[in-house]
Amino acid sequence: MLSFIMALVAGAVRLSTPFLFVSLGETITEKSGRINLGLEGILVFGALSGFGASYLSGSALIGVVAAGIGGALLGAIHGWLCGRPGTSSIAVGIAMMVFGLGISFYLGKPLIQPKAPQLPDIDLGWWATSPAVRAALRINLLFVLGLLMAPFLRWAFRSTRYGLIVRMAGENAQAARAAGYSVECVRLLATMAGGALGGIGGSFLSLYYPGAWTEGLSSGQGLMAVALVIFARWDPMRCLWASLIFGAAGSLGVALQSIGISQGFHLFNAAPAMLTLIIMTASSSTSGNSGRPRELTVFS
Amino acid sequence: MELRQLVSRIARQVGALLFGLLLFLIFVAVQGRNPLAVLSDLAFGAFGNSFSWQNTLVRTAPLLLTALCTIVPAQAGIVIIGNEGALLMGGLGAVLGSMAFGFLPPAAGIPVILIAGSLLGAIWISLSGILRQARGVDPTISSLLLHYVGLAIFLFLVEGPLRDPATLNKPSSWSIPEALRIGRLGSSDVHVGLVLGLIACLGMWVLLKYSAWGFGVRIAGGNPRTAAMMGLPRNSPVIAVCAIGGACAGLAGAVEVSAIHYNANASLASGYGFSGILVAFAARQNPLAAIPVSLLLGGLHAAGGILQRRHGLSDASINVLQGLMFLAILMADGWGASTRRTAKG
Amino acid sequence: MDFAIETVSLGMRFGDFIALEDVSIRFRPGTVHALLGENGAGKSTLVKCLIGYQKPSSGQFIVLNKEADFASPRQAHEAGLGMVYQHFTLAEQMTVAENFLLVRDPIPLVVDWPKEKQRLSEFMNAMPFKLDIDTPVSQLSAGEKQKLEILKELFFERRILILDEPTSVLTPQEADEVLGLLRKMATETGLLVILITHKFREVSGWCDMVSVLRKGRHVGTVAVAESDNQRLAAMMVGDNEDAGQSAKATPNSGHTSDKTAGLSITDLILDTDRGRRLDKLNLTLSGGEILGIAGISGNGQRELVEILSGIHAHYQGAIRISGAVFNGSRKQLRVLGLNIIPELPLQNSCVGRMSLSHNLAFRDYDLPPLSSKAGFLMLGRIEAAALDKIAEYGIRSPGPAAPIEKLSGGNIQRAVLARELRTDTKVLVLYNPCFGLDFGASAFVHAKIREARARGAAVLLISEDLDEVIGLSDRLCVISSGRIALEGDPKTLTTAEIGLHMAGHQVS
Repeated sequence: MLSFIMALVAGAVRLSTPFLFVSLGETITEKSGRINLGLEGILVFGALSGFGASYLSGSALIGVVAAGIGGALLGAIHGWLCGRPGTSSIAVGIAMMVFGLGISFYLGKPLIQPKAPQLPDIDLGWWATSPAVRAALRINLLFVLGLLMAPFLRWAFRSTRYGLIVRMAGENAQAARAAGYSVECVRLLATMAGGALGGIGGSFLSLYYPGAWTEGLSSGQGLMAVALVIFARWDPMRCLWASLIFGAAGSLGVALQSIGISQGFHLFNAAPAMLTLIIMTASSSTSGNSGRPRELTVFS
Repeated sequence: MELRQLVSRIARQVGALLFGLLLFLIFVAVQGRNPLAVLSDLAFGAFGNSFSWQNTLVRTAPLLLTALCTIVPAQAGIVIIGNEGALLMGGLGAVLGSMAFGFLPPAAGIPVILIAGSLLGAIWISLSGILRQARGVDPTISSLLLHYVGLAIFLFLVEGPLRDPATLNKPSSWSIPEALRIGRLGSSDVHVGLVLGLIACLGMWVLLKYSAWGFGVRIAGGNPRTAAMMGLPRNSPVIAVCAIGGACAGLAGAVEVSAIHYNANASLASGYGFSGILVAFAARQNPLAAIPVSLLLGGLHAAGGILQRRHGLSDASINVLQGLMFLAILMADGWGASTRRTAKG
Repeated sequence: MDFAIETVSLGMRFGDFIALEDVSIRFRPGTVHALLGENGAGKSTLVKCLIGYQKPSSGQFIVLNKEADFASPRQAHEAGLGMVYQHFTLAEQMTVAENFLLVRDPIPLVVDWPKEKQRLSEFMNAMPFKLDIDTPVSQLSAGEKQKLEILKELFFERRILILDEPTSVLTPQEADEVLGLLRKMATETGLLVILITHKFREVSGWCDMVSVLRKGRHVGTVAVAESDNQRLAAMMVGDNEDAGQSAKATPNSGHTSDKTAGLSITDLILDTDRGRRLDKLNLTLSGGEILGIAGISGNGQRELVEILSGIHAHYQGAIRISGAVFNGSRKQLRVLGLNIIPELPLQNSCVGRMSLSHNLAFRDYDLPPLSSKAGFLMLGRIEAAALDKIAEYGIRSPGPAAPIEKLSGGNIQRAVLARELRTDTKVLVLYNPCFGLDFGASAFVHAKIREARARGAAVLLISEDLDEVIGLSDRLCVISSGRIALEGDPKTLTTAEIGLHMAGHQVS
């Protein structure tokens, strides 16, 4: 039982990292009044860029930076297209998903076999004698970064110029324009920032766990992050807790395998998607309205 | 709509698709391939000779149906992108139907299999509709999440309880008995699924444009407040369009299983569902326009093989092309809107 | 310095449309200067040029002795101009304090909240109306939000303050409070207040000067002391014959009373995510009468109309139409003869991109003769029926196949009337039917309302235009905080009584 819980906790921390980064990024985007359904494409493109850059440069950290740049690039395309009159951000999101996946799979063909330098761990369990506990307490660098980023973003939204401007664009675009800010510019930058974080979240998949580039790397994590942000009511700290829950759901299959239950592997892979559906169903449309940026309409 | 407006709209869509193609050719040129050769091979691989045409038409058939999975709900204002999931469920339904009713003669058995697939597909997308009406869950997100869930269920069943033990290398379900496999048109490779797809598109066009029910659906899609004020039912139009769309995608899956693969396995998830979304948007959610657009995309899918053999471009390159075309269509939408705006002054 | 602002032949055109032409007005500091005019006269356009929202196509203006060439509202603010808009420019999810900070130029890179809050508290204490700076704006009433808007501008010590219909969401008493403060500040500090209004009461009560605009041109500027309402009305409207007809009380003579028609609402309660919007609302209405409901927007009118429009499925209380329990189904609406003219008809009861002729068929497209028995549309007959209605109601359009959103507001309203006013309409509900329409179109709508009453229909007229409600109703109610607060004869009730009840005060 203990080893199951250890495996679950370790898995939760591990698998929560991509959710954490993507959801924090999407929080920024949605607070500015825009929704990005193309995050799945950005996530995978980030995984590819990170892997490729790490492979070519020999440094995983360069890979992470490249993933961020790649994500920001796709975010810029998304933001630019959405900024044009008459475009539906849902359609743009779907297109970016298709394009992002397509270009990632295309460019990634030669990278399926090779190995690239991985991200380092922080070994918090150095004192433990049991290898299971030690393994469980290996925390990856990106998770720590995300852990710091969540409270930072919360503070930034309240007490910094750019945080307040982003919120204003998402609350009352007309007022933001009247105050002299270009709402389109704010949303474009917010979408790029969201894309950058999403790309970094993707790099986690290829540079840490599972630690290789394949075409089955993501099974909807990018999309689930959008639902996660709604569930977290656009609050960065709640994104952190929600990501851990989603990470736990995702690691259910592997944790069960560690105690010998290996049937229904496919079904457990779908656990995060099921969890997302259940959460979306359970949270009624009325209570979800507190904290929703006024300018954000999913049916835009 | 006036003829002049219609022509200019069509021209804009075609122009956008061509622009996407142009971007793709630039993309291959950057990769060091000869763009003109790629272009001519694409055209040849799609429509060059009788063999290409058959290949194309075989790939057009499922697109006609999966596109409807987005087009029909769109009339009610619902954007569904879980087409691939419904397709997989349809394939599953075909296998289940054939396992239960495989003893029937073809005249009864084939329809049963196809209906079983359509039914499962209909149920799958209806879930999105029901969740939206009952709990306000966004159907775009829920339909895609259901795809992932459906894929998991599909793989679990096909590689587990429904697996044919004889298929060790590539786990697959039990096969459809030979008598119940869908026939071909004449002596070609093209199967009857193409005809089903054409009938479905035409049928949907007539239903949506000329029936009173379709009119009501369009009011609901155009302005839900108005629909409520006119006393139109709140839930049934939404669930009905989801069921119809899902049935079409499910039928596509059943047809693919029964005409191409003969059993259900992982290769059923080859992206026809997602391509159907692109067809729907490029056709501006019009079932009639979906016919030529499906043909075009079917041709591109068919030509993918040539690109791989002659130019070393992997199969993912067709996905890149589709993505570029999709983005080009959206750019054209935005451009159209802004020129209309300046004209109004 | 004589003038705070002087416009010199200011002009603004959008493509072929001329919004302003050759407007030259002088505004003195230390005055409250009204801009009067009908909808579409150009008041908002003029003010948008002054505040830097758009650049004038021709002419120029001089602010505080310097020629003004603003590229953005930010530059206008730097020159000392401030504006309070009609639609709130507040961020609802943010607190009062955060909203104040948002207007700072520039917003500090890192905000020192304790210091900022202290500054704000000191400022608030000096003001005649106060707000709690930590409350989220979404929890403020409409009146408080408007006051916040004004306070925001005063906080930044503007020399010129422009207000666009600021009192439309305030009770008469709150309006007096606000305008009184502005008048005081103008006299004491030399502030120039430019007030866009269409209410004569405000012009005569609080303003020093008034400039009248009509169809984009400046008709004249007079001192309030030297003018009267008749003269101002004449300047505003010109030679429009329909002007006199709109909101005069007409005797309720010779109408038939249809005993089967009627609307009765008992203890209606509606809870939404914005709280309890209808709180035991009761009203009864019989055929052949117009019941007017007056009130400030936001007191439950919209929700009442939404319930009758079938938008809210869950509510408590009983609604009976001509005796039958209301269920909102299409069949019932037809049988009971319930028709609705909502506010903002394009957004609420049309589908913009569908054609005019199709929109006209929304009520009966699924019945013969417009549909066949098999359920297919008879498109030819739909068009023919549309052409009849277009002729009868004088709907001007690019053609019956044109998307209805291309029609002007007045013509869309005519189309909705054409569709909703059937000979067998038994209960007619109207909500702000003349919002945004010019005098001619309003007069047309009012005439149709009287016709419906004459035919025996029960007419419920909900309007935020007090003059309209008083002029048309047989009986008058005031809605406040989700319930009916007052009921009486419009000819005997005083504006003071009505105003008090609109604000929610009981008359003891």
